[in-house]
Amino acid sequence: MSLNDCYNFEDFRKLAKKNLPSPIFHYIDGGSDDETTLKRNTESFNDCDLVPNILASVGKPDLSTTLFGRRIDMPIFLSPAAMQRLYHPDGDKASARAAEKYGTFYSMSSMGNNSIEEISNISSGPKLFQLYVHKDRSISDDLIDRSRRSGFDAMCLTVDTLVAGNREKDHRTGFTTPPKLTLQSLMSFAMRPGWVFNYLTGKRFELSNVKKKTDKGTNISKSVIEYINEQYDPAMGWKDAEYCAKKWNGPFALKGVMSVEDAKRAIDIGCTAIMISNHGGRQLDGSRSPFDQIKAISDAVGDKLEIILDGGVRRGTHVLKAIAAGAKACSFGKMFLFSLAAGGQQGVEHLLKNMHDEISRNMVLMGCKNLKELNNSKIIYRK
Amino acid sequence: MNLKDCYNFSDFRKLAKKKLPSPIFHYIDGAADDEITYERNTSAFDDVDLVPNVLRGVEDVDLSTTIFGKKIDLPFYLAPTALQRLFHYDGERAVGKAAQKFNTMFGVSALATVSVEEISSLINTPKMFQFYFHKDRGLNDSCLERAKAAKFDVMALTVDTITGGNRERDLRTGFTSPPKLTLSSLFSFATKPMWGINYLTKGKFELPHLQDYVKEGTSTNTSIGNYFSTMLDQSMNWKDAEKLCAQWGGHFALKGVMSVDDAKRAVDIGCTGIMVSNHGGRQLDGSRSPFDQLSEIVDAVGDKIDVICEGGIHRGTHMLKALSLGAKACSGGRLYLYALAAAGQAGVERALGQYKAELIRDMKLMGCTKISDLNRNNLRFR
Repeated sequence: MSLNDCYNFEDFRKLAKKNLPSPIFHYIDGGSDDETTLKRNTESFNDCDLVPNILASVGKPDLSTTLFGRRIDMPIFLSPAAMQRLYHPDGDKASARAAEKYGTFYSMSSMGNNSIEEISNISSGPKLFQLYVHKDRSISDDLIDRSRRSGFDAMCLTVDTLVAGNREKDHRTGFTTPPKLTLQSLMSFAMRPGWVFNYLTGKRFELSNVKKKTDKGTNISKSVIEYINEQYDPAMGWKDAEYCAKKWNGPFALKGVMSVEDAKRAIDIGCTAIMISNHGGRQLDGSRSPFDQIKAISDAVGDKLEIILDGGVRRGTHVLKAIAAGAKACSFGKMFLFSLAAGGQQGVEHLLKNMHDEISRNMVLMGCKNLKELNNSKIIYRK
Repeated sequence: MNLKDCYNFSDFRKLAKKKLPSPIFHYIDGAADDEITYERNTSAFDDVDLVPNVLRGVEDVDLSTTIFGKKIDLPFYLAPTALQRLFHYDGERAVGKAAQKFNTMFGVSALATVSVEEISSLINTPKMFQFYFHKDRGLNDSCLERAKAAKFDVMALTVDTITGGNRERDLRTGFTSPPKLTLSSLFSFATKPMWGINYLTKGKFELPHLQDYVKEGTSTNTSIGNYFSTMLDQSMNWKDAEKLCAQWGGHFALKGVMSVDDAKRAVDIGCTGIMVSNHGGRQLDGSRSPFDQLSEIVDAVGDKIDVICEGGIHRGTHMLKALSLGAKACSGGRLYLYALAAAGQAGVERALGQYKAELIRDMKLMGCTKISDLNRNNLRFR
């Protein structure tokens, strides 16, 4: 199986599974508890039907939109995702370059393996920085200052990770960062010598953006769960978020908003956007899916905030449904991480091309010339 | 397994799978993307229950209905489908003769492998021609004129294939028309030698309605998705449809209408019918199923034009549900294509006979003796 055989999410997932040591594959693939929310994130799209219009002489549809003050070529982008060098030696560089090529946002995680400065040197495309509020506030302040100096366009603050979710697959595989060899994982690493070779001969694994401030995650093998629980401030409140928004003083989103009330409050503290997200089903299992919740949020705040749907998106038609329900754009993590593991920059480009073609084809079949025409009248929810 | 073991849709499907090289089977069997809409087309019927009436005296059941001004003996007909000689060497000849035997309408595709003239000389029961709006206007005119000269009763313009759907099974199997031998498909063709022998010995494969105008699909291997995307006119609009309707000058339908607004507009441009259809789930995955959308459309235009429910029908009871909601008739492609692949004309006749027997049995169990007895009081939505 190679990249040319990858037509959809499941294909990329299979190829990633082949390429990655199993603890690392399962770290991407898993959700929390019973993964009920993880499944619902995608299934929720099936309870809503598209209703096409015929004879609309669409020609070539315009997929472009504006997000965070930047024009992007299509209404999808790469969600922030931690530690991308575990999935491919080029890590964030591969993702950033692929996103730039397809004219859309790349997002950098606070827990990236490349530094803010490094990425800003190699990509002039739209860039979003993802922030965690650390117990040591000077870490967060430093990340905001550096993102601004490096020309990042927007910032999002993750608000659904005050404490780590119960990712049972990681408990079972013993996933840590940097990867630690345990007896159970040894086999799986040994069977992927290419991965091990790249990992050992490439640049040293580090959390580049926070390495000066903490040695956690860099020298000592830590599970992500332990890292989150030690470093992030569970006491973070609306005042802290407001402080970050003011300090950043540019396009600013809260990532992980699920309630209508919180969406309204995001406007009050100066947010320009929200990302409706449950962290890809990796935090609170049994929580509502973004697509199930988007209509209520869009009805309440859609005219005042940019709404991004994050989670469960695997198809062009999912994007179309989200936009018809009120999203400005959609973002996804798992899907592009699988494509990164499948083929580095080329893999992510292959995925973005597939998604572009699907969105374009399905806009034509819907009879829509541009994203504005994709409104509420084009979908019907099943009972 | 042979024809005698086929009692329902899924039996015919199994036998077809046994008979056909896998790229060809998957061309029929597959649909767009994740095939969510394809599955929903059928499962939508399960969200509605039939409520029978008792003690009605039901020994004689009349299944006939009138669509497009023609009386047919069954409340369903055979939807136009492309390339039938790939599925069985008799192709449209077999399907047409079976349709005639049961006195129902036969839909002939623009991508048919037998000509309208030949069909017209073979059968005298109602016939529909399905039309694609090509970039080549000469080809369009020729199709209309030939269908008219061959005394076809209805013209159906397909409006849901403005670009090819994402049929991933075809991408993986490398399905093209005419079939091309690739290394990966060779094995599957080699294990179905009878299909190969028939394909090579029972007359040249051709697309008689197109071959004077295009080489695609006739002498050049092309995928159907590619054909839609390159040969059809993507700028087709309501004016074009209105002109074609006037040019045809007889019963005219749009095939692939899903929205209420479009259904109303079809009435305005002079259509006498519409097929509520998503092309068997083969185009826009995630789009609404015909049965889910049927009542809204019937409410809006059901008193002005014939509304046909097309797609997902596997059973007589599915038809009873659609007819109860106000569809004038039902139609389907896979409904008879698996049977065609399974055993040619005899297969299609067996399938039609079974649907007819199911309809008669189920009408009796519902306490109905004619199609007009069916109405929404027979149904409860869960």
